Amino acid sequence: MGKVALQITRRSFLKVAMAGSSGMAMATRQVRRAAANTLRQAGVPDAWFFKGTIKSTYSVCDMCPWRCGIIAQSVGDTVFKIDGNPADPKSRGKLCARGQGGVSFMNDPDRLRAPMVRTGERGEGKFKEVTWIEALDAAAEKLNAIAAEYGPESVAVFGHTAGDYWFADYWAQAFGTPNAAKPSSSLCTSPREEAAKLTYGFAIGGHEPVDWEGLKCLTLIGSHIGEDARNTVMQDFATATANGAKVIVVDPRFSTVASKADYWLPIKPGTDTALLLAWIHVLINESLYDADYVAEWTEGFDELKAHVADFTPEWAAEITDLDADLISTTARVMAENAPQSVIMPGRHVTWYGNDTQRMRAEYIINALLGSVGREGGFYFAKAPYIEEYPHPPFAVAGSSGGCSAEPGQESAELPTGPSGKTRADGARTTFLRGSTAMQELIEPMISGKPYPIKALIVSGVNLLQSIPNVERTIEALKQLDFVLVIDVLPMEHVAWADIVMPEATILERYEELSTIAHKTPYISLREPAVEPYYDTKPAWWMAREIGLRTGLEKFFKWETVEEFIDARLATIGSSIEKMRASEGIIVQKPKAYFADYGKTSPFHTPTGKIQLYSHELELAGFDPIPVYEPVEEPPEEFFRLLYGRHPVHTFAKTQNTPLLSELYSENEVWINAAAAKKLKIKDGATVILENQDGMESTPVKAKVTERIRPDAVYMVHGFGHNAEGLTQANGKGASDTLLQTRYALDPISGGAGMRINFVRIKKGNAK
Amino acid sequence: MNANLPGADTQYAFLLDLSRCIGCQGCVAACTTGNELPAKTQYIRIGEIVMGEFPEVSAFISNHRCYHCADAACVNVCPTGAMYKENGLTRLDQEPCIGCGECVGACPYEVPKLRNKKSTKCDGCKAVVDAGGTPWCVKTCPSQALMYGVRADILAEAQARVEAIKGRYPNAQVYGETQAGGLGMLVVLPDSPEVWELPADPDTHADATTSLPPSMAKALPANFGFLSALTLGLGAVIARRDKLGRAPRKDSTTVIDSELEPRV
Repeated sequence: MGKVALQITRRSFLKVAMAGSSGMAMATRQVRRAAANTLRQAGVPDAWFFKGTIKSTYSVCDMCPWRCGIIAQSVGDTVFKIDGNPADPKSRGKLCARGQGGVSFMNDPDRLRAPMVRTGERGEGKFKEVTWIEALDAAAEKLNAIAAEYGPESVAVFGHTAGDYWFADYWAQAFGTPNAAKPSSSLCTSPREEAAKLTYGFAIGGHEPVDWEGLKCLTLIGSHIGEDARNTVMQDFATATANGAKVIVVDPRFSTVASKADYWLPIKPGTDTALLLAWIHVLINESLYDADYVAEWTEGFDELKAHVADFTPEWAAEITDLDADLISTTARVMAENAPQSVIMPGRHVTWYGNDTQRMRAEYIINALLGSVGREGGFYFAKAPYIEEYPHPPFAVAGSSGGCSAEPGQESAELPTGPSGKTRADGARTTFLRGSTAMQELIEPMISGKPYPIKALIVSGVNLLQSIPNVERTIEALKQLDFVLVIDVLPMEHVAWADIVMPEATILERYEELSTIAHKTPYISLREPAVEPYYDTKPAWWMAREIGLRTGLEKFFKWETVEEFIDARLATIGSSIEKMRASEGIIVQKPKAYFADYGKTSPFHTPTGKIQLYSHELELAGFDPIPVYEPVEEPPEEFFRLLYGRHPVHTFAKTQNTPLLSELYSENEVWINAAAAKKLKIKDGATVILENQDGMESTPVKAKVTERIRPDAVYMVHGFGHNAEGLTQANGKGASDTLLQTRYALDPISGGAGMRINFVRIKKGNAK
Repeated sequence: MNANLPGADTQYAFLLDLSRCIGCQGCVAACTTGNELPAKTQYIRIGEIVMGEFPEVSAFISNHRCYHCADAACVNVCPTGAMYKENGLTRLDQEPCIGCGECVGACPYEVPKLRNKKSTKCDGCKAVVDAGGTPWCVKTCPSQALMYGVRADILAEAQARVEAIKGRYPNAQVYGETQAGGLGMLVVLPDSPEVWELPADPDTHADATTSLPPSMAKALPANFGFLSALTLGLGAVIARRDKLGRAPRKDSTTVIDSELEPRV
């Protein structure tokens, strides 16, 4: 009571001194406050963490594909809170808003609850609930019949997020279809992966290997850290800037990270390669590059020097709409801080169809700065060692790709299915490399060329909110003989399924070990915090049950996924039990810098050196050194349509999650203030966007802002849902994917460049 | 007695560094889930502040929340003791709260809101801290923008951070060292407080005269809280806004007293 009394005394003294006449009222309130304190002290706190014993479960977040280690905190059968796992090299005990929203995602009342079969027309969304046995038998019967008539290659499998392994990798390879794809390749990272393999001889993999701790200069080309809320990157960015690192941001939009940068280059969209070539010109012309590093670790420098001779900052200034001095200055800042100076490879880099060459130009600069393989630069990532489950040899090698694929080399030959067919997406024919192009698998569903794809299994990919040219995707969905959809929520494409299988979320299921190629290679355990809700099942269970019904018994000798995981862990002397006792994480020894490689080269190129000049590209008829190729300009009245992330949302996956919808419920279209004034559009007005092909958006609010160039507009991706079952997200905002009626195929990587679409702004009616 | 233990008369404080905050809203979600806030209730609001014209533009994140005034207007006007000070932080016990809305009108930062006929705001994660934990927002922040600790230490950290960013942000300053008797939320501002519409000298006694007489508070009918929210609380907010001659904050919500919706 001493403290309370003291506070009252101080308070009343102050109050009386200042307010005088209200002294009487104060005295009465003090009595009330004291009484309230007594009540408080007598009462039991009702916070969730006093409700019983807290159970902590180790898993990996699935709210985005970044894979932060988490601890799910539950009491009884209820998960109350998700925290970052302090032992996890990615989350380090922290978590973004989306990760915190994992419980809300699980508790979404709109979830798919039971297996269903279609009763109406495809696309109508009419279904009846059936038992698992009925759904599995029916699916297997269709798959077996199609495989018997057209070969297993005629079944395509699209997968994304944590459960995608079981269908897009394990089942697909056992069944014998090479037509497995993940949107994280050709709709996202393919150009950077193929460019890295061509230049350095290794892929970037899931985690960009920036050695943040000693970093002195960070250059971002379109990456918007903070809006792209990858937890680790936000933490590392904070550390780097606290250590005084310089930040250079190239972006047509004044992104959050641009607002924290030392230099912002508001580049004209589509001209990045011209800027990069001018930077190379300055680095070479002013002898700012690391000559020793270049001599030891690169080849083709003389050709590069000759190539960029005319690409002056003045030349690039004309093209990029940037100041020539700013171009020179930023190149010098990069060089002054080298080798602790990197251009961080962006993640979603499928922009204009010439993206592999742009990414090569970025990697060439990192080489000139001498940063690759140096502390504080660009470390060498290493995959953790662990054996695969000892299954019999698969019918076809895997090639689904994805951003979480481990760093590796280009495989010599494309995987061939049991009927002798390679992938139907045009790899090695319409585009050079062997990476998988999901969007190129749509055409064979319609045309039957090069051979028919008759069935599609979709695990966790929103087909209509991620693949450009939505009309074509719908046509394909009409043509297919069989569509099986596995998902958590009744997304748009679910209405086009013949059979729907409801998936348990990551908090309700075991999942295959997460193996992360990293500075410190590591493995994480994914255990369930609660039993699956409703009549939902994990994807591993569905894939196994379908496997047992499609003649694949020998691959599914394991009965539970725990058995599968333990068999793998045994190969490194561990087990689920042991991992549980070690905070769910096994960290292995790094091999991050040159010193760790002795006399061998870490660059797996034909000569063991960084390919400034690519003979491989030259032989295939491509430019051996990147050149700037102009992209189509928006016509009169039109803006280039740019898109990106909001920190509380992932893809088209989280807009219906109640907590996250509450934090950002609908996207807006960013319009430059001067451009909006000309069009007489006010901030907050409802508008409709019409693209170059006459495709109209749903009504969307205008965000009139100084933070974007006047020749482009910007939207957060993933909104404009039109599935009635999504009660939070349906009808909110507009879909950028719908307006991407065309894309430019990257002839090297197979990536789908989506920033070649233009929109004009029509004043909309209020909703 | 260990002066660092809660229970001792130690003054605690938060650090909020707006030069580091990157607007990810991790804190908002952690607060909302950890504290089991009802639907559509948040104690933290993230916004943007944009200045200049393209391409000569600058922008800051705003991260609006309870500032935990030492001389707290909400505590000053609260007729029931629901709002009270403890260890330098402004606590709220909803049990004695009668929903009169006095705090809503009095707060110079427009922080408390009425929800389900009760005042609601950040209480500095009292239950978490009492249980030996770290406030949820601080625990999850990936940007080193939030800290929690003994106020003197937090103040020293804030001052050191300001010194470190002066080269880049010449107007950088610590906000809260002296305002309202000293805030329990010490803010590293990369620019002057007006940019965030933070009052240089917040008035925590402006609406003290509108306090309900205790006798009236005692005799309140059950539904009085709702009425008073509309008549007194909202009126006071409007009056004060008029007095200040500015539009409501873009990121601010108005006084709402909706039925409590359970969060899923």
